[in-house]
Amino acid sequence: MSTRKPLKQLIIEHKTAVLLVLIIVAGGSIGTYFAIDYLNAQNPERITLATTTSTYDSGLLDYLLPKFTEQTGIQIKVLSVGTGTAIQYGKDGNADVILVHSRSREDNFVNASLGVDGIPYGIHRACIMFNDFIIVGHETNPADLQPGDNITTVMTKLRNAIDTGNMTYYSRGDDSGTHSKEKALWAEIGVDAEIRWQNQPNKYTETGQGMAATLLMTYEDVEAVHEGYTLVDRGTWLSFYENYISLNILAESIGGEDLLLNPYGAIPVNPILHPHVKYLSACRFVGFLTSPYGQSLINAYRKNNQILFHASFGICNHNCSCTTTNDEIAIWSPFQAEYAGLTV
Amino acid sequence: MANEIIEGILEGLRLIFTFDPEVWGVIEVSFRVSLTSTFLAALVALPIGSFIGLRKFKGKKEVTNLINTFMGFPPVVMGLIVYLLLSRSGPFGAFGLLYSTSAMIIAQFLLAVPIIMGTAKAAIESVDPTLKETVLSLGANERQLWWELIKHSKKSIIAGFLVAFGQAISEVGAVMIVGGNIRWETRTFTTSIVLQTRMGEFGMAIALGVILIVIAFIVNYGLTRLQTRVD
Repeated sequence: MSTRKPLKQLIIEHKTAVLLVLIIVAGGSIGTYFAIDYLNAQNPERITLATTTSTYDSGLLDYLLPKFTEQTGIQIKVLSVGTGTAIQYGKDGNADVILVHSRSREDNFVNASLGVDGIPYGIHRACIMFNDFIIVGHETNPADLQPGDNITTVMTKLRNAIDTGNMTYYSRGDDSGTHSKEKALWAEIGVDAEIRWQNQPNKYTETGQGMAATLLMTYEDVEAVHEGYTLVDRGTWLSFYENYISLNILAESIGGEDLLLNPYGAIPVNPILHPHVKYLSACRFVGFLTSPYGQSLINAYRKNNQILFHASFGICNHNCSCTTTNDEIAIWSPFQAEYAGLTV
Repeated sequence: MANEIIEGILEGLRLIFTFDPEVWGVIEVSFRVSLTSTFLAALVALPIGSFIGLRKFKGKKEVTNLINTFMGFPPVVMGLIVYLLLSRSGPFGAFGLLYSTSAMIIAQFLLAVPIIMGTAKAAIESVDPTLKETVLSLGANERQLWWELIKHSKKSIIAGFLVAFGQAISEVGAVMIVGGNIRWETRTFTTSIVLQTRMGEFGMAIALGVILIVIAFIVNYGLTRLQTRVD
């Protein structure tokens, strides 16, 4: 008590001074935060990657990025969102590089005539890897999908089962790469799902969430009347299927049908449009992903003892409905040089 | 499900006591952001709020209405506003503060200011008017009266601070939008729980939830003790 009282007295006698000190301390601390974050934003060794939930939730990036940082000292902030959002982040300059899966929108991203005043949002695209999409559902399989069905049959059966109220289709509904693919699949049989089943969430549920969350919702839908189906990329599926024991693969690509293949591309954001982006570091990252070292790391990544993504830089013309031109190979090879000789 | 909850609680205890760096990093970010924003908000809102409570002026009713409206401002809308302001294509984009703890502090500061302001104003107004008269009759000037009233209503003011802190630490929408849920950097309890749930890692999600509740309890207990001691 004897030591506290003088202190209290002191505070009361010097209210203004105490208040001033408080304000200075608070201002100083917030100023320091802002300064640190501001400097970090300028630091070329810290880049922002906007990517899809499938690459992040599957654990691939947590596996790849430390190896990249170890090699280059560049740290990567990951924003795990849908492809649509990631592309928007790239257009707004909120990310330095994007890693997404929607080939047509990637092509638009690097298309000069769709950019700003003839300047494209991104300059070079690199094909990184691919996997494929599958359709999963409950064992009872009310839509009666059979293993040999081609994709047109599958979509027709799904449409009929939805129309009769036997099942619910769970759509991402978030403008992601998977959502684009789903729309493309419906388009194959001339259906616009959002219009056909508008405002009928017990038939066509738009979750507005990431892949894993949508899988979870499909899994939770076990009511006898309408059972859940959804489209999922194999990478996310293999990382999570242990958690969704009552779901099964009910349709997948047969005989190398291109439509269900799922290529991922990386594009650095154009520094002409956004002078603040760390273009060189972003290119070094893409160089890492496309280098023999990065490609073999992607092939080596396993979850539940399964390969999630197949590396495809330079070889994708044959097997993943994607293309790499000789120009692209020439552009990225200088950036791959610093990873030469590294092995998994 | 019951098993998952019990396992989650045990997992939570294990993560805390083995000083798991990721969990402690999440704790650190949550507290740093919430405490800083609430503290800064108190510095701004207390003087203004108590001043509004003390004085009578034209338009006071409108100001009160405005504060009350903003007390219930939807956090996710605040997240959207701060996002648009800090985005690289927004007016303050040049600072590059989006997806940083600074952005989260700004959003939570803006959410906390009306709460602390409103409670401070109400606290000052609810002081027994005879106390005011007594203080004035003893020859106090307005500044001394203001100080006396603040001292008198410090309980309610601390309560307002607690409410603001509770909102800040349990808020998810705004910090998700402006922080981006970046691992090791802007991931908080709440955004981490969202992520773990969507990844099907319920154990980890429950663990973080339990830690959040326990820590909130400890902080509240400590502050309540402090509150009763100052009387």
